[in-house]
Amino acid sequence: MLRTHCPASRLGINLLHLTPASLSVSQMPVAEGKSVQQTVELLTRKLEMLGAEKQGTFCVDCETYHTAASTLGSQGQTGKLMYVMHNSEYPLSCFALFENGPCLIADTNFDVLMVKLKGFFQSAKASKIETRGTRYQYCDFLVKVGTVTMGPSARGISVEVEYGPCVVASDCWNLLLEFLQSFLGSHTPGAPTVFGNRHDTVYGPADTMVQYMELFNKIRKQQQVPVAGIR
Amino acid sequence: MADVLSVGVNLEAFSQAINAIQALRSSVSRVFDCLKDGMRNKETLEGREKAFIAQFQDNLHSVNRDLNELERLSNLVGKPSENHPLHNSGLLSLDPVQDKTPLYSQLLQAYKWSNKLQYHAGLASGLLNQQSLKRSANQMGVSAKRRPKAQPTTLVLPPQYVDDVISRIDRMFPEMSIHLSRPNGTSAMLLVTLGKVLKVIVVMRSLFIDRTIVKGFSENVYTEDGKLDIWSKSNYQVFQKVTDHATTALLHYQLPQMPDVVVRSFMTWLRSYIKLFQAPCQRCGKFLQDGLPPTWRDFRTLEAFHDTCRQ
Ligand SMILES: [Zn+2]
Repeated sequence: MLRTHCPASRLGINLLHLTPASLSVSQMPVAEGKSVQQTVELLTRKLEMLGAEKQGTFCVDCETYHTAASTLGSQGQTGKLMYVMHNSEYPLSCFALFENGPCLIADTNFDVLMVKLKGFFQSAKASKIETRGTRYQYCDFLVKVGTVTMGPSARGISVEVEYGPCVVASDCWNLLLEFLQSFLGSHTPGAPTVFGNRHDTVYGPADTMVQYMELFNKIRKQQQVPVAGIR
Repeated sequence: MADVLSVGVNLEAFSQAINAIQALRSSVSRVFDCLKDGMRNKETLEGREKAFIAQFQDNLHSVNRDLNELERLSNLVGKPSENHPLHNSGLLSLDPVQDKTPLYSQLLQAYKWSNKLQYHAGLASGLLNQQSLKRSANQMGVSAKRRPKAQPTTLVLPPQYVDDVISRIDRMFPEMSIHLSRPNGTSAMLLVTLGKVLKVIVVMRSLFIDRTIVKGFSENVYTEDGKLDIWSKSNYQVFQKVTDHATTALLHYQLPQMPDVVVRSFMTWLRSYIKLFQAPCQRCGKFLQDGLPPTWRDFRTLEAFHDTCRQ
């Protein structure tokens, strides 16, 4: 039932960049009362002016599990967190990740298995976080601008840029950066950490999921800070 | 009647001539009837011969008479076709049901068209013969009998020689791997993999490169039955553009006497795409233009340019 090969039809480079949603929202000059929604609209309008075309929608979600207390050793070790994620680009797959750890790619009925493993992994309360939005195609680029939500509230914006022709992320970082600058302007981020420690390995779906996981974690930590414009 | 006069046909003489032909035919058949029947019963052998000869002579006379009559009439009929520029086909214009069978006007159109075609083909052949861009063995405009019987030696190189040239090139460039196969007889097909950037399918004819298709490293290059897919193009615009440029390069690198040098030059040029996503344009300094990286590589310097930035 578990598989470790990539079920997706393509191994595009999926450079997810970004934007620390809350970070970019709070830093963008939207302080004068612009909401997350308005900022998303601003971004998508810029993409459309560039010539990008709408190509459906996307959704990435993530749920956190922690190791059940009963299985922890006596030495007072803390339980590791596991993230179970889905990505509408890979509808037949389910991703299970540990922070800094391995990424398992399984069939979607992995969710059922998690229910059976209740004794070992327990889902954290109200941990579900997801991003939803529109896909845009521009030449060979695929851009996904999404609103990150936790429960009922919008927490920030995610921007993912995929450049399908290139399979080695570090090869095309400069090219991606130039593209990001064309619609993010000064809010263009630095290279994601996932790129730093790899040389010429072929980029895969797991790399994208790791970046989403890191983005979601960042946004979770900022959840106390009220997002500009919500009020 | 005016039409009739204009083509010079004497209808009266014509119908008389037809009658004369009928008369001639029947008199000729009478001659043969008489010969077939032979000598009829008469009391004496002498009588039989006499009667037969007289009858035969009569019949021949009438044939002669009918023939003379036909000859006379045929002079009166005239020669209608001679004064018409299209000769006998001009008679089609006499067809009274022009609307239903516009044969004559169609014929004129076809005639004009074929005249023009011949003229333009002659001009084109003259012009093309002045160009030195000849990749194929057949010389244009040369008639079949003057065409050399044997193909030029560069087209009949032994497969072993082609293998050697390719494997030498393969060893020259470590980041480039070349896989040679011969799925369709003696012609080789190459699958060139350049780093983790792109794959190129090269269709060869002996040592000449006939066709190249460039695809992404992650794209499928095989058909469903496991053969190299030499027809479908890449899904990505950037590789479609590189395919166009590679086809241009095939026409640029030409040295008919040394095909191995041509293949080596082409592969050297192709190798410069190892930095397809990493090299900024040498003119405008940018990576992207209209969403595409610099897809052009200069044939001499191998420098990267956007398609619209090259001189
Ligand atoms: Zn340029």
